[in-house]
Amino acid sequence: MVASLLTARGLNKQFRSGNQPVSVFRNLSLHLDRGESLALTGRSGSGKSTLLNILCGLEKPGTGSVQVLDEVFEGDTDRQTEARWASLRRQQIGVVFQEANLMPALSLLDNVRLRARLAGQSEDGCRDWLERLRIGELAGRYPDQVSGGQRQRAALAMVFAMKPALILADEPTGSLDRHTAEDVTGQLFDLQARHGCGLILATHDVELATRCSHHLDLGHLPEN
Amino acid sequence: MTVFSALLSHYRRHPLQLLALALMIVLATMLWTGVSHLTDRARASLAQSEQAIAGQQQLVREDGQAVSVQDFADLRRQGLCVMPWLEVQRPSPEGRVIGVDPFASACFGNEAPGQAGVDALNGEPFLDIAEAAEMVRQGSEGDLSLLVPVDVEADAVPSDYRLKDFSMGPATGELGESFLLNLDALGVLVLLITALLVRSVYQLGLVQRRESFTLLRRFGVPAARVQGLLLTEMVGLTCVCVIPGIWLGRWLAEMLGAGFGQVLENLFDAPLYAVDGGGFAMPAMIMVAVVLLACFADQRVLMRLPGVTGSVPAWWFGIPVLGLGLAMVAWPFTLGWLFVGIALVFVAVGLLTPRLLSYVAQWGAEGAGAITLWQRRELAVLFRRLALPVVALQFAVAMVLAIQALVTTFEDTFERWLAQRLEAEFYVEVPVQAAAEDGVRYLESLSGLGDWHLVQRGATQVRQETRRDRAGSSVAADVFSISPIGPLVMGWTLLDAVPDAWDKLAAGQGVMVNEQLARRQGYRPADPIGFTLGEQFLELPVVGVYADYGRPEGEILVVGQILPETFTARFQSLSLNPGALPIAEIELGLAAVWNNDNLTIRDNASIRSLASGVFDQTFLITRAITVLTLVLAGTSLLIMGWVFFTTRAWYYRLLFVWGLSRREVAGQLRWLAMFLTGAVAVAALPLGVWLTWVLVSRVNPLAFGWSLPMAVYPGFWLEMLALCLMIGLAIALLMRRQLGGGVPAPAMANVTGGGER
Repeated sequence: MVASLLTARGLNKQFRSGNQPVSVFRNLSLHLDRGESLALTGRSGSGKSTLLNILCGLEKPGTGSVQVLDEVFEGDTDRQTEARWASLRRQQIGVVFQEANLMPALSLLDNVRLRARLAGQSEDGCRDWLERLRIGELAGRYPDQVSGGQRQRAALAMVFAMKPALILADEPTGSLDRHTAEDVTGQLFDLQARHGCGLILATHDVELATRCSHHLDLGHLPEN
Repeated sequence: MTVFSALLSHYRRHPLQLLALALMIVLATMLWTGVSHLTDRARASLAQSEQAIAGQQQLVREDGQAVSVQDFADLRRQGLCVMPWLEVQRPSPEGRVIGVDPFASACFGNEAPGQAGVDALNGEPFLDIAEAAEMVRQGSEGDLSLLVPVDVEADAVPSDYRLKDFSMGPATGELGESFLLNLDALGVLVLLITALLVRSVYQLGLVQRRESFTLLRRFGVPAARVQGLLLTEMVGLTCVCVIPGIWLGRWLAEMLGAGFGQVLENLFDAPLYAVDGGGFAMPAMIMVAVVLLACFADQRVLMRLPGVTGSVPAWWFGIPVLGLGLAMVAWPFTLGWLFVGIALVFVAVGLLTPRLLSYVAQWGAEGAGAITLWQRRELAVLFRRLALPVVALQFAVAMVLAIQALVTTFEDTFERWLAQRLEAEFYVEVPVQAAAEDGVRYLESLSGLGDWHLVQRGATQVRQETRRDRAGSSVAADVFSISPIGPLVMGWTLLDAVPDAWDKLAAGQGVMVNEQLARRQGYRPADPIGFTLGEQFLELPVVGVYADYGRPEGEILVVGQILPETFTARFQSLSLNPGALPIAEIELGLAAVWNNDNLTIRDNASIRSLASGVFDQTFLITRAITVLTLVLAGTSLLIMGWVFFTTRAWYYRLLFVWGLSRREVAGQLRWLAMFLTGAVAVAALPLGVWLTWVLVSRVNPLAFGWSLPMAVYPGFWLEMLALCLMIGLAIALLMRRQLGGGVPAPAMANVTGGGER
């Protein structure tokens, strides 16, 4: 098994604000092995979500390359590159957003089944994942019938049901109260450690960041 | 920044939504105003027509020639009260006007037709005869009549003239009203569909603005004030939009007016006079009321702003309503009763369809794979959340299907019927005072002449007691006599007949009745029918029932041999195929026999062609309005579908995040959108077929006295399905373009209210 999970080299990203280019980050490089976790912190607008999007192929960097497992991406935009990223997201990269991770027309269990099916995993263990995240009794409920914390647990169940190599979590507890947030992140770290996958966590919570094996503050990057 | 400007700021962010709402109001107003303006104008024109000719009589020349100004001068010199009446047909769409002489009409007193006082001649349709004559000189077609007061007796008339009812054709009142009632019903249906569309666009806007409403309430703005401002906003927008809508509606009515005029003139023999169709105020007020009712009728909108969802309430209520509506249509007492029944069925279908489609979408999905389950569930959400535009498109498609089937059936049937009726190549009118028998003897003497027969038309009273034991009661009907019964009529399609019906008719052993008389009096083949011919009463069996479209009167077809001496023919003509002889030679021969050089000979092929042209025009309005409604409903679903899909864009993007390629996501969207619109077409099909049946088998017999065969046109169904699928494809393509952009924040999904299930 390859220990190296993710490597990014020389990433640059600029946005346009009116006619002025605004640099989000320049020449950013990082590396993550299996079982490791990385916390991305920084003020709002520092580029945490943008970096996560680049690392899973939802956005293109200005320059630089990204390698996930054996797949290397040099900023190409052709259909093949898109298909390779799609395949990685489908089977290897689980993404958790702050909210709205579930299809509203499906029950919690059906959401988990859908995600597992897309990843090529069996649907049999889906209910177990909900049980493990202590929302088994809510399996038949719809997203609008449960609390925000229960929705985020279901989102984690979906990610773990696909058995990913890498989890990208973009402020997954940002909309939860402190107690619920601690509960959810506790389960996230626990399962990540148990299954040996990589985790990159974008957060404002410094205390949460300290629980990761690495920490990158995008607000205090050197100019080059 | 005031509360009102804060509310309006939504449209600064979403100008297209404001444009869509404005467009809906304008188009709804245009369609409804167009139809109602046409019907108002026609109704006023028919009333003018009836009022103008009511109870009047005219003088005609005994020699059959048209009256002239010289006749008028001669009669006035003889001291007779005569008024010239010059009808001028101006080019479309200006309409017909009537020139009357105010001085000549003075002897009529207050009974003068057209209220012929000088003051009344300052507007259409009545004007001074000098102006009308000038129009004729400039090339317009004119028709002069000489009217006399109703109290003038026949013996007071000079010998070269005779009195005749001043009527332009058969009684049109009932038929005209029925036709206009149909148009009114179409107008109401169009109004209903457009009101649904306005409501759907408005409610979607409300859903998108509910966060703003909640914020305003949190900031201390009372709900009643927000509601008042919303009402003000809508009143303002409606007032601005209805004016161009009404103007466009009138323009539409003018565009279609020419065809409409021809319909009235040729189908019902009712001239379309140039009259004003009414002002702007009434349609504007009606439209403002309809729009406000459509947008604010749901109490939840006013009382529970944050809770608006756009769903159709109390769907189960549709079941008893459907039963009631179907029963009313199955057993209609009157035309009004029937239309109420149709309206109830439409209301019920509107309530039931979204829920039914939603259930069907999810049916059997539980055992399916996760992706299929998601597709089905998502589709069910779309059916429920897009209920109003879905129902509007369903109604529009059903209406188009029904109207198309009705029109096509009518055209096919009518053309076949017309071809049978005008089987002979030529038609020669027997002049007044001429003896038809002389013409018949002349034709019998010719060798090489093709098939021919003599037609004699007159009146009869059909006694009802022979059938229904109603002593003393009778109904008026026309007599249509043919002799000899030959190949020119034996090709007619009979709706029902006994064996060897034509032979029995030719032998005088029975009569045939038209569908109108058969329906009204309940005659079936072999039933006895008692009727008068002149002073003679006959009772013969009905041997056949024939179709007779386009007029309301009952009619009995008899062979000429049974007509007694006392029978007075109102009209006589010869239908003939010249065969080996030139028609000019036959014409000369008949002219010599009847001693009249001014024979009226018509080429039936040109009449057939003219009639076909008239019927093409007849349905121009209904076709145009239904197609416009369909386009409007299709556009509405396109806009609504696109906007609603946009509110769920984040969830479709989740598929992309979860590893589906853009192409696969686009495929899913295409499936959803096309299934949505395709299902609407499928759901519209039974409603359309039912509506067709209602039109041909219920509305037509009640309104016109005759029915049409029920026919379906699967080819057209496929066209409608293709059109609906195209709308779905367009939604999918728009969404694909939208999803091709950057990744939005997931919070957007909650703000736009797309997270419903």
